[in-house]
Amino acid sequence: MIPQAFEYVSPATLEEALELAGGDGVKLLAGGMSLVPLIKLRLATPSVVVDLGRINGLRYIREEGGRIRIGAMTTHWEIESSPLLRTKCPLLAETAATIGDVQVRNLGTIGGSIVHADPAADYPAALCALEARVRLRSRSGERTVGISDFLVDVFTTAIEPGEILTEVEVPVEEARAGVSYQKMAHPASGFAVVGAAVRLRRANGKLAWVRAGITGLGPKAFRAVAVEERLDGVAVDAEEIRKAVAGVSEGVEANSDLYASADYRRQMAAVYLARAVAAALERAR
Amino acid sequence: MATTVAAPEPLVGKRIRRQEDPRLITGTATYVDDIELPGMHYAVIVRSPHAAAKIRAIRTEAALAHPGVAAVFTGEDTRHLGPVPCAASLPGLRVPQHTVLATDRVYYVGHPVAVVVATDRYLARDAADLVEVDYEPLPAVADPERALEPGAPAVHPEWPDNVAFTYHLENGDVDGAFAEADVVVRERIVSQRLIPTAMETRGVVASWNPGDKSLTLYSSTQIPHLMRTAVAKMIGLPENRLRAVAPEVGGGFGSKLNVYAEEALMGFVSMRIGKPVKWIESRRENYLVTIHGRGHVDYYELAARRDGTILAMKVKIIQDCGAYYQLLTPAIPTLSLLMAPGLYRFRNVRGEIVGAFTNCVPTDAYRGAGRPEATHCIERMVDILAAKLGMDPAEIRFKNFIREDEFPFDTGTGLSYDSGNYALPLRRALEIVGYERLREEQRRARAEGRLMGIGISAYGEVCGMGPSTAMPAGGWESATVRIEPSGRVTVLTGTSPHGQGEETTFAQIVADELGIDLNDITVLHGDTAVVQYGIGTFGSRTTPVGGTAIFLAVRDLKAKIERFGAMLLESSEVAFNRGVCVCKKTGRSVSLAEIAAAAYRALKLPPGEEPGLVATRYWEPPNFTFPFGAHIAVTEVDRDTGVIEIKRYVAVDDCGRQINPLLVAGQIHGGIAQGLGQALWEQAVYNEDGQLITGEMMDYAIPKATMIPYLECEHTETPTPVNPLGVKGVGEAGTIACSPAIVNSVVDALAPLGVSHIDMPLTPEKIWRLIHKGGGQ
Amino acid sequence: MKVSGSYSVPVDPETAYRLLQDPTVLARCLPGCQDVVQEGDETYRMKMNVALAAISGQFESIVRLAEPNFPTSFRLIVDGTGRIGFVRGDGLLRLCPDGSATIVAYEGEVHVGGTLAGVGQRLLDATANLIIRRFFEKLNRLAACPP
Repeated sequence: MIPQAFEYVSPATLEEALELAGGDGVKLLAGGMSLVPLIKLRLATPSVVVDLGRINGLRYIREEGGRIRIGAMTTHWEIESSPLLRTKCPLLAETAATIGDVQVRNLGTIGGSIVHADPAADYPAALCALEARVRLRSRSGERTVGISDFLVDVFTTAIEPGEILTEVEVPVEEARAGVSYQKMAHPASGFAVVGAAVRLRRANGKLAWVRAGITGLGPKAFRAVAVEERLDGVAVDAEEIRKAVAGVSEGVEANSDLYASADYRRQMAAVYLARAVAAALERAR
Repeated sequence: MATTVAAPEPLVGKRIRRQEDPRLITGTATYVDDIELPGMHYAVIVRSPHAAAKIRAIRTEAALAHPGVAAVFTGEDTRHLGPVPCAASLPGLRVPQHTVLATDRVYYVGHPVAVVVATDRYLARDAADLVEVDYEPLPAVADPERALEPGAPAVHPEWPDNVAFTYHLENGDVDGAFAEADVVVRERIVSQRLIPTAMETRGVVASWNPGDKSLTLYSSTQIPHLMRTAVAKMIGLPENRLRAVAPEVGGGFGSKLNVYAEEALMGFVSMRIGKPVKWIESRRENYLVTIHGRGHVDYYELAARRDGTILAMKVKIIQDCGAYYQLLTPAIPTLSLLMAPGLYRFRNVRGEIVGAFTNCVPTDAYRGAGRPEATHCIERMVDILAAKLGMDPAEIRFKNFIREDEFPFDTGTGLSYDSGNYALPLRRALEIVGYERLREEQRRARAEGRLMGIGISAYGEVCGMGPSTAMPAGGWESATVRIEPSGRVTVLTGTSPHGQGEETTFAQIVADELGIDLNDITVLHGDTAVVQYGIGTFGSRTTPVGGTAIFLAVRDLKAKIERFGAMLLESSEVAFNRGVCVCKKTGRSVSLAEIAAAAYRALKLPPGEEPGLVATRYWEPPNFTFPFGAHIAVTEVDRDTGVIEIKRYVAVDDCGRQINPLLVAGQIHGGIAQGLGQALWEQAVYNEDGQLITGEMMDYAIPKATMIPYLECEHTETPTPVNPLGVKGVGEAGTIACSPAIVNSVVDALAPLGVSHIDMPLTPEKIWRLIHKGGGQ
Repeated sequence: MKVSGSYSVPVDPETAYRLLQDPTVLARCLPGCQDVVQEGDETYRMKMNVALAAISGQFESIVRLAEPNFPTSFRLIVDGTGRIGFVRGDGLLRLCPDGSATIVAYEGEVHVGGTLAGVGQRLLDATANLIIRRFFEKLNRLAACPP
């Protein structure tokens, strides 16, 4: 558990960090909850670690024009406990609260988590359901990418060398909406064996609008668009909902590991999605 | 000279906070990694990534050239060291030569191949990457049953059948009983390999003093004295030139009841480089190369009458030994056989053990050491029998328990249960859980399609290890109780507590016996230069055996105290009580401190008496002790996911007299937690290549505090006649009792679906498949 | 760990077969390969550099092409040893014509040892499939625009 030697740099500004990003053997350090264990196991052997922790202006949660902008270095704990998010984007706050454990949430950051793109991470389910966007800065400028385009494959995002993810942007949730994140947590790691994030509205005993994001099932989290369409207009009835979500795993190359086979995961994705829908309905007005 | 205030009321039996805790929770305790010695070097061990391979070559030049590196040693350099010892002996035991470092072959992933020594741990780790080993991989086998099949890869070429040993016992008329039985039930039951996961990994600091040619070994161990004897032999050093010290040890659970290659290796390294050297095991190494627990595949058969009377049992245990033995590897399953009949009266037993070599790390003692496996099996079989006969599982147990008037009871496996009242805790547990109401609730739940189950575990266990004739290295324990000139007391115990709290327990005993304040007593252990030879801490023996030795030493001292008191009070009629010696005639008294001062000053001595106030005792227990109890688990299974919820957990345990109920509760809680771990979450998994794929705490799910349900714990107290304290030992009982309560409960929950047995761990997917594919295993 | 699947390559089987047997093509498709050296008949030594998120490892690799059956099938064996562990992949590749393209079906085993095996269990499946996916993506790009 001893890392290979590396140079540690702690820039004070984003510009300095951007100068270093993308260099040979350079890794950016956010909360360290994923990177540091990899370094200690020598699965990662960066020659330079650039710590983003000292940079002002990457930790914030603010509302602007119907959207909420969250700095990449905002910790899970800050997101979980933010009064703004708990009222205006409760899905994200609720999801953050399920990550790992208290120690992890005190240090882990939303930006670090998204860029790491672990297929079993929790945020991506919520972010897909929220149709979130991420902001990427490089020395030559800035671009915004939708989360579904940003998540490319297992541990793979659309980030280019030299880019730093600086911000996540989510919508302000409609007051009447109901949201929920339900997951089956791995008993050792706490990662999502499957996780389902749902936002919906109800009207006249029916689902009136649904967004659903699934994580843990396949190589990356995804928005279950086909299921959303099947759920739209469905009566608030457990059996109807169960039928509508049953196909959530179709076409997904499901992960398989010691704890849960691909088959089981496929079934559980539907079960937890149905539970997320039920929980969200309870809260919808 | 200070006088102390005598303790106002007895401390034994009280929930007293631990003397150990202040230093532990303020971070001022010294663990082996806290030890810093001048000139200390660091060692990193290079280990095999293959489960089986020939070593064609090892090149160390690059590592040697790395800055800071003082030396690199391989199996060639350590060839002359003695083998890692196995203290167990069984007829026909095949013992592989277990060298400290691999020589021409490696036999399991993690097998140590070389050691790199450098001036700091970072340089050592970097240099370790530069050691080049040419391996020629060979076929490996990781599953014990597959290892025993013809044609399986031979773990050790000299024994191609991979049989490590066989062991038989037979009592009574087993075939006759099976022939006359109305019903026979059979099952294959697995107690999976577990990783003990002590909080502190292992570590060694070895310090060779070239001036007086002595070696000090600090090691995170449960048995410093035994380890010293063994390691002295391995490295060829006279025993009395080796000092072994167990500093603060962060838990062992049996995994440190052992003598490991690294202990001798670090001694060797320090002697060679002439400097102290430290090796600290990483968690990954700990998972890979510290012994694993359990590893049984058991085949059980029970023969019974229609009325539920069990007549006989046949047991076949296949023990996954691993590639080598550690200290007690082959002995552990013999403990399973000893406890196979559990609390039941039948004496017709046929038992067979087959030890299998596999390309895995050795198995050895882990909390319960053979008894959890046995209890799990017999309690599962009794439930299976009850289900077959349509009998209530509580009723069938009451029917078969050894009765109160049948003690001492000689079991069919050669044990003599000294005392017991098995119906008592079960009745109490059933009462606490509200059994009748629960069965009604279960009927209602089943009508609603809910899967609710009730599981009973009535367990007995054998501990307070133990009579020396039955123990590989002796089972007595030593104590020296020293009253200092000031009247303060120092207790030297040969046991080696590492979290159990005996510094407190022993102080309570001594405080009561001498009538002094708890804080005037210091308990020392773990340092072979300070404490007389002892056996150590394991097998729930520290209080029953170690505590008894202390109690007897104190009794000797009390007699001497009275003799000095009589001299000082010039009277023959004196009594020592509550810290003072009083003349019964005149009422004059003299304090313990005054007596101590007089005993050391020796101005005047009683006739024939020696100065000083010290007593040493070595106590040989006449028997094991036999705690027992009953646990009941109520569970509900989520049909859609297979997730199990424990709705209630009741434990009624009888560990005899409780010296400190707070510590007893801690042991029960911790024991149950580890039992739950086995039942629900833990499993050490080797893939078919012999790679340990549950290699980190990310994959191997040990219980967290949030995963443990509320535990409703009570006790009955039937003191044991085996020792004067009446204490049976309680360190392992919780683990022994727990797993069958859980599995019985879940099988009960799924019984309407035709499920009759499930193997641990009861993962959600396993349960889900039983529900959705219908019955079977 | 068993792996199996199939990918479509936009050339005919004979061309696909020749591409797959070409060590420089293999080096471009296997992760981060450099310094291809022929060791023997159909055996090549190369340095593989696998980088996935933060994880990166260098592997000294031997790539062997066995059981040649032009243009229908052959066996591809990759043996990589590195500090973070060793990987051995052994797969049978079958090529079937599909119009003007070829379906390459693979079936094989991946064995992993060392640190990777001990700590990577959860993601081995997904990672192996990712590497295979990328292999065929790169192969397709090379097939579309031959070097």
